[in-house]
Amino acid sequence: MSAEQRLTWRRRLFAFVVASVGAAAAAAISFAMTVYDAANPKPVPLAAPGQPIDTGRWTITFRDARTGSIPPTGIKPSTPKKLLMVEFDLDNRSASTSNAFLRLFTLEPPVPNLPPPAFYLARDRSVAGGLQPDMPERMIAAWEWPQAVPVPQQLRLKVTSQIHKRRDNLYGAPGWFDRDPAAVVTLAVGSGP
Amino acid sequence: MTAATGMSERRRYWLSLAALAVVLPLAIVVNSWDSLSEWRRSEFRTPIAVERGTTQAYAGAQWQLTGLTRLPGATPETTLIVAEFDAAVDDPALLQAGPCAVVLTDDKGRRWLPVFLPGRTVRQGRPAAADKPRCYGLARAEKGKTITMAETFTVPEGATGLALSITIGGARPAYLVFR
Amino acid sequence: MSAVLKGLGGLALAAAVLYGMQRTTPGYGEITAPRPVAGKLGHRLEGRAFAIDIAKVQLARTVATKGAARDSNFTTSGVWVLVEGTAEARTESLTLLSAEWLGANGVRYAMSQRLSSLPGMLPGQRLEPGLPMPVLMAFEIPEGQVAGGTLLIARSAWAPLAEQARIEMAGAKPVDIRPCLVLARSQGRVPWTVSAE
Repeated sequence: MSAEQRLTWRRRLFAFVVASVGAAAAAAISFAMTVYDAANPKPVPLAAPGQPIDTGRWTITFRDARTGSIPPTGIKPSTPKKLLMVEFDLDNRSASTSNAFLRLFTLEPPVPNLPPPAFYLARDRSVAGGLQPDMPERMIAAWEWPQAVPVPQQLRLKVTSQIHKRRDNLYGAPGWFDRDPAAVVTLAVGSGP
Repeated sequence: MTAATGMSERRRYWLSLAALAVVLPLAIVVNSWDSLSEWRRSEFRTPIAVERGTTQAYAGAQWQLTGLTRLPGATPETTLIVAEFDAAVDDPALLQAGPCAVVLTDDKGRRWLPVFLPGRTVRQGRPAAADKPRCYGLARAEKGKTITMAETFTVPEGATGLALSITIGGARPAYLVFR
Repeated sequence: MSAVLKGLGGLALAAAVLYGMQRTTPGYGEITAPRPVAGKLGHRLEGRAFAIDIAKVQLARTVATKGAARDSNFTTSGVWVLVEGTAEARTESLTLLSAEWLGANGVRYAMSQRLSSLPGMLPGQRLEPGLPMPVLMAFEIPEGQVAGGTLLIARSAWAPLAEQARIEMAGAKPVDIRPCLVLARSQGRVPWTVSAE
């Protein structure tokens, strides 16, 4: 190789090394940040019953929890059942009618083989359909508790949150997407009829 | 020398620009050729007209219209049409190759889809038809058996030129038309 | 020097054009939005697939229903809107499953599912070509959304490029809110009656 060729090769090598150092530094910092976030998760805020929780799409205020054998419809079931009912106020903060409250809150230590709860509108005492925006309603969620498992004295509920994106990453369509849990609520379980 | 090269360069430039006007539509057509041919193939375009009383082979069975009854509807301007037809099965695989659809059409091009349940009027006016299955009865097709089916339609009293068309998805683009 | 300026000018122009294109690109929601057909209260709206004519809009604070098994009283924190009209399919049998009240602030209120089991409700009516049928819709809206509302009626809420009837509800005014409306079954051509208590 002549002297000029070696000079250009060295310049190119130098530029290559500088660029790769930058890229490696970026990758290393991003990795370190992810590891740090995973090791120190943000604590989920605790909320008390009666305190409104803003989850993005819904504003939920828990009222009380009780067990009973008669569902909120008032009609005695044909086979005896143990029901755990949670009463709460729900306000739809989105711009259209929605019935996406089915997975809004879950039992914090999940109970195995527990069927999903049924949601009732306290006003009609019947199964709830979609909730209209900006018109808060009192609702009751009823779990059919398995007979063998004892009902806990204190119920912990984890409330999920959602954000609205005007353009999502796949289609560019507007939608609501799950984010970190908004709060954890502890309710004392009373007993009812 | 430079003038000549300048000229040929300009000519090449404009020729390429003109070629773009041809190449772009060609690229679009080549890319969507598959979808276009699939769409054309999926349309039902060739009707097979069947005269009353004759049987016609279609999608692996011999089809025949056995009855077309008019019954009074709920109001004076509605009429219920009960169409009964049967299929003598030759090849069940062809019959079940796609969804079946039965539609009543008139001479103005309007289409009536069958009602979900026969209803009390059909049960009283034509009880035999009320028990027959709708065209999903083809799901139980076996070679050699004849499947009788019936469909009910609610049409205006003044609809004329009514024709029953039966389509089986796997046999497109052909479809049967009974008058 | 002028070559540098020309280069920078070209760069700035390209950046401006790209920025304009990014800001004005319609999202997937706008590209597949339903096609609106405008209409007015009391006039027949003719679309390609269906025709609808909204005759009457009534407002009430509570709705009482007289059913076969029991009587119910439906209260609401806002206002009930009962919309009566006639609908007809144009070329093929169809069912109109989606009806929404578009408030003045852009919020959409779908039909109330609390009254959905009554006779003559829009999503339960199969519309046939040549046979106009009476249809009923019930909405629950806050009182502030009564004025300046628009009714959006379509075959389906999610089908891309579906035909959507947009009917301006200029006749609905907050002064006309009655304390109670009674919704009862009827045996005639119209399967319901709406009467003030």
